[in-house]
Amino acid sequence: MACTHDHSCEDHDCSSNWSLYKHIDLAKVTALNEANPGSVKSVFKAWEDRLNSSGEHLESNEGDPELLVYIPFTSDVKIKSISVVGGADGTSPSKMRVFINREGIDFSDAQGMQPVQEWDLVENLQGVLEYQTRYSKFQSVASITLHFPESFGGDTTQIHYIGFKGEATQLKRDVVATIVYEITPNPSDHKTRAETGGGLSQVE
Amino acid sequence: MVLEATMICIDNSEWMRNGDYSPSRFQAQADAVNLICGAKTQSNPENTVGVLTMAGKGVRVLVTPTSDLGKILACMHGLEIGGEMDLAAGIQVAQLALKHRQNKKQQQRIIVFAGSPIKPDKKSLEMIGRKLKKNSVALDIVNFGEDDEGKTEKLEALLAAVNNNDSSHIVHVPAGPNALSDVLISTPIFTGDGEGGSGFAAAAAAAAAGGVSGFEFGVDPNLDPELALALRVSMEEERARQEAAAKKAAEEASKQEKGGEQQSSSQDATMTEHASGATSEADNKRNDLSDDDNALLQQALAMSMDEPASTHDVQDSEMSDAAADDPELALALQLSVQDSAKDSSSQADVSKLLADQSFVSSILASLPGVDPNDPSVKEVLASMQSQSEVSSSNLVTQQKQDEDKAPNEEK
Repeated sequence: MACTHDHSCEDHDCSSNWSLYKHIDLAKVTALNEANPGSVKSVFKAWEDRLNSSGEHLESNEGDPELLVYIPFTSDVKIKSISVVGGADGTSPSKMRVFINREGIDFSDAQGMQPVQEWDLVENLQGVLEYQTRYSKFQSVASITLHFPESFGGDTTQIHYIGFKGEATQLKRDVVATIVYEITPNPSDHKTRAETGGGLSQVE
Repeated sequence: MVLEATMICIDNSEWMRNGDYSPSRFQAQADAVNLICGAKTQSNPENTVGVLTMAGKGVRVLVTPTSDLGKILACMHGLEIGGEMDLAAGIQVAQLALKHRQNKKQQQRIIVFAGSPIKPDKKSLEMIGRKLKKNSVALDIVNFGEDDEGKTEKLEALLAAVNNNDSSHIVHVPAGPNALSDVLISTPIFTGDGEGGSGFAAAAAAAAAGGVSGFEFGVDPNLDPELALALRVSMEEERARQEAAAKKAAEEASKQEKGGEQQSSSQDATMTEHASGATSEADNKRNDLSDDDNALLQQALAMSMDEPASTHDVQDSEMSDAAADDPELALALQLSVQDSAKDSSSQADVSKLLADQSFVSSILASLPGVDPNDPSVKEVLASMQSQSEVSSSNLVTQQKQDEDKAPNEEK
């Protein structure tokens, strides 16, 4: 499940593997039980910056280490593995449960539902551990929800980096993007083929 | 315009029979609920509101979150008063109702009317608050009615536990002559977080403040929102320009009179009605606008304010020069030249101008066909003394009419 990244990174460009963060729809990323609203967006960055915690990180509320992160993608992706960098002093998350393609999960849902996959995490302060997924289940992921129920004994849970390795397809889940509601039909909005110059029909 | 699903928790316990809020606590609460529902659905058409009662036989959801205002108002009918309020269960049921909202994109909000004594202790309320915060549900509390010892403290503790980034609020409404809904209108519960419902709130506040005349600009924003908006915008532009010009005024020493604006002031009469009716700070409008239009408007205002003239200017001599020809035209020309040349601040002072009998009669004398001894002209001169804006604009129109009549008569 966990593999150690024990070759030096100069040999090949690691960061290109971890480039799924570019396909995350950052504006719609949300987290429940975060101490600073909006801080969740700071954990999605390039592989090279994963240890760069000078900016914000995601922290749960005092005394409650549970965290729920909802991540929608801009197109369907296939996820091979996930990497999580937690905080020091026991504030790293100890378990991770993921749900695929479900919106609006809250804590009671997350605690009750069977996750698609779950892992026991290890403290990963250097960001060299990755957790492989059962690839067949992660073939067309439009959104992923990560549930971190516990930490390693700390009062809160801190997350500095979440990375996804995999590939992005160009497909988009069917979302009705623009709907035009017509109260009365407007003929000028509906050009027949005859008017646009195609077809053989004639309107007399 | 925040997209929100709201659950309103109504207190229909025995304590609501009390009449210290008119007509009764329960009725005041119902009015407030109606107003809130209206405000929420107006601020964003996709907002939904639901209602539940906390007392009676138990917590009962009257209507699940819906955007249909009629349904909500209908369910408020025929509610019975009785029993004791169960705050904890009420909030939990509200949370559950919000969890099952149809549009998951909506933010969740609970509004609680706490009118009777609170049974749960501070600790359990704090736990409830933390659970709400964890699920990012905002909570608004309206503390009215009974004032138990510790009630305020408990509610404040609950608010502190829920509050995330100032999205939750508490309002304490003491008993008094003001209706509950009136007090609520000015609170963040109505105005959201500074956005949204403010248009509705402003209109409602105006209505509450005193009938039809309470509307800003004399136009009901609900009846004619575009006109109200246009008036408001022009008012604010006006103010901004005046502030800018006021700075210039401080530097300028001389003030010019704009007698030539008599002709345009009548056109501006309607504008001034709006303007003068609008704000009491028309006094600030003394000052200086480089724009011709604004100057005219402002001058007309000055007339209405009946300001004593500061300096009766050299305009007189200029006028008498031009008086030989067409005094009004000459004046207007002078004016526009001065405006562009100096960009000056001028104190509009037609009232003083008109008050100067000799000046006026000299003008009238120069006008063809007008006999200063004509009784109608004398009447007109007399009426000028009364110095009301309306009459002076009427005067101008009358003068114009006299002028028009005179050449006609001549023919």
